[in-house]
Amino acid sequence: MGREQRRSRLVVAILLVITFTLITIDYKTGRGAGGVRGFLHGAVGGVENGVTAVARPIGRTVSSLVHPNRYHDRADRLADENAALRRELASRVEVTRQAEELAALRLLADKGQYTIIPARVIAVGDVSGTDWTVTINAGKADGLATDKIVLNADGLVGTVVSLTDHTAVVRLFCDPRSKIGARLESTQLLGAVSGGSGPNTLTFTLYDASYRVRPGERLVTFGSLDYVAGVPIGEVTKVTDVDGLSRTAEVRPYVSVGKLDMVAVVVGKPPTDPGDRVLPPRQGGDTG
Amino acid sequence: MSVQLWDPDSDVEVHAPTFAALVVVLLAAVIGQVSVVARLPLPGGHPDLVLLLLAAAALVEGPVVGALLGFTAGLFGDLLSTHVLGRSALVLCLVGYLVGLVAEATERSVLVALAAISGAVAAGSLGNVLVAVLLGDGAPTEAGPVLLRALTAALYAALLTPFLFPAVVAGVRRTRRVRRR
Repeated sequence: MGREQRRSRLVVAILLVITFTLITIDYKTGRGAGGVRGFLHGAVGGVENGVTAVARPIGRTVSSLVHPNRYHDRADRLADENAALRRELASRVEVTRQAEELAALRLLADKGQYTIIPARVIAVGDVSGTDWTVTINAGKADGLATDKIVLNADGLVGTVVSLTDHTAVVRLFCDPRSKIGARLESTQLLGAVSGGSGPNTLTFTLYDASYRVRPGERLVTFGSLDYVAGVPIGEVTKVTDVDGLSRTAEVRPYVSVGKLDMVAVVVGKPPTDPGDRVLPPRQGGDTG
Repeated sequence: MSVQLWDPDSDVEVHAPTFAALVVVLLAAVIGQVSVVARLPLPGGHPDLVLLLLAAAALVEGPVVGALLGFTAGLFGDLLSTHVLGRSALVLCLVGYLVGLVAEATERSVLVALAAISGAVAAGSLGNVLVAVLLGDGAPTEAGPVLLRALTAALYAALLTPFLFPAVVAGVRRTRRVRRR
C-alpha cells in the first residue's frame, strides 16, 4: 500500500508541476487566440454552435416530452401528435422572439448610426465557472476585430477579447478585468465602469471630484479609438464615495447577463458622436 | 492493452480503453457545460457536470486515473477559456486525486459516494475561485455569491449522482469487459 501511495503521489506531483509550469509560462507570455488555443477555439466553436442549435428546441419543449410516447393505442398516438404540434408552436414562438430581438437591436443601432454584426451566444463562461465571458457565433470571417464593443437591445454587453474565424469570446462588463470608459448623461465628464461586484452591479469612477453624482443619472460609453461612443450602460443607484479624489458610484446595468441571447458587435463608428440619443427617453419627459 | 505505471504488481494502473472513454466523456462534458448546462434557467445556480463526472470517475478508478483525468479535462477547459492556462487543470487534477483516495471507502456504502461527489463539487467550485484569487486573474470580489454557487452546485450534484454514478460504473465495467473478449 505504501509503495502504491508513493507512486500515485508521484503522478500527482508531476501533473502539478506541469500545471504550475503552464501557469507561469502563460502568465508571462500573455493570452490570445493563437496556436493550440486558437485552433481549439475554432474547432470547439463549431461543436458548440451545433450543440446549441440542437439543445435549444430540446430545452424549450422539455415539458412536452416529459411523458413517454409509445404507439400502443390511439390516445398515445394523439398525445404524440399533440406534443409534436406543441413543439412546432414553441419553435414558432422562438422565431418570433428572435425576430423581435433583432428588430430591437436594429433600432438601437440606427439611433446611434452604428454598423453592427449580429450574433448569438453559443457558450457561457468557462469550465471553472469564474470567467464572466460568453462565446458568440461570429468571428474574424464576419469582420469582427478585438476590442470592439458588444451590445444588445438594452445596451452595453462587453468587449471582444479573442477571435477565431467563426467564433469570438466576449468579456462581459461585470468581469473583474473589464474597464470601460463611461460618460454621465448630458455632461462631458469622463469616468470608467469596472466589474467585479457581481452581474447586477458595476462600479463607476468619475475622475472629476468636483461634480456631484446623483442616483438616477444615466451612463453611456465615452468612446475611444476602438470603443464606440454613446452605448447605454446603466443607471447610478448609489453614490459610495463623496470625499476622495474621485467619485465612485454603484451602477445598475441595463443588460441582464443571465438572459443574453442575441447580441451585436459594433464594427463601424458613426461619423459623429451620437451623444445621448441612444438612451431611451426618460419617463416624465424632463432629463434635467 | 493496459498500461502499467512502473510496476506490474501494483494496483496503480491505467486501463487504456477505459481511460480513453472517460477522457472523451469528460471533454464532451466540458463543452456541454458551457454551451448547454450554463444556459439552463435553473434556480440558484448550475450543476457542474465536469466536476461531477470527474469525481464519479475518480471514485471508480482511483487517484492516479482521477488526477490524470482532471488534468486533461482542466487543460482542455483552460485552452477554451481566456484565463491563465493551467488554472482549472490544477484544481481538477487535485480534485481527481483526492476523490480517488477515498475510492475504497465507497465500496462500503453508497452514501460515501454521494458525500464524496457532492463534497468534491463544492470543493472544486471553491478551489477554482481560490486559485483565481491567488493568481489575481479575474477573481470575484464578494464571498456570498461564490459560496452560494458552490453550495447550489453541490446540491445539484447530490441530486444527479444517483443517476450519473451508476451510469459511470456501468460504462467503466463495459469497457473492461470488451477488453477480455
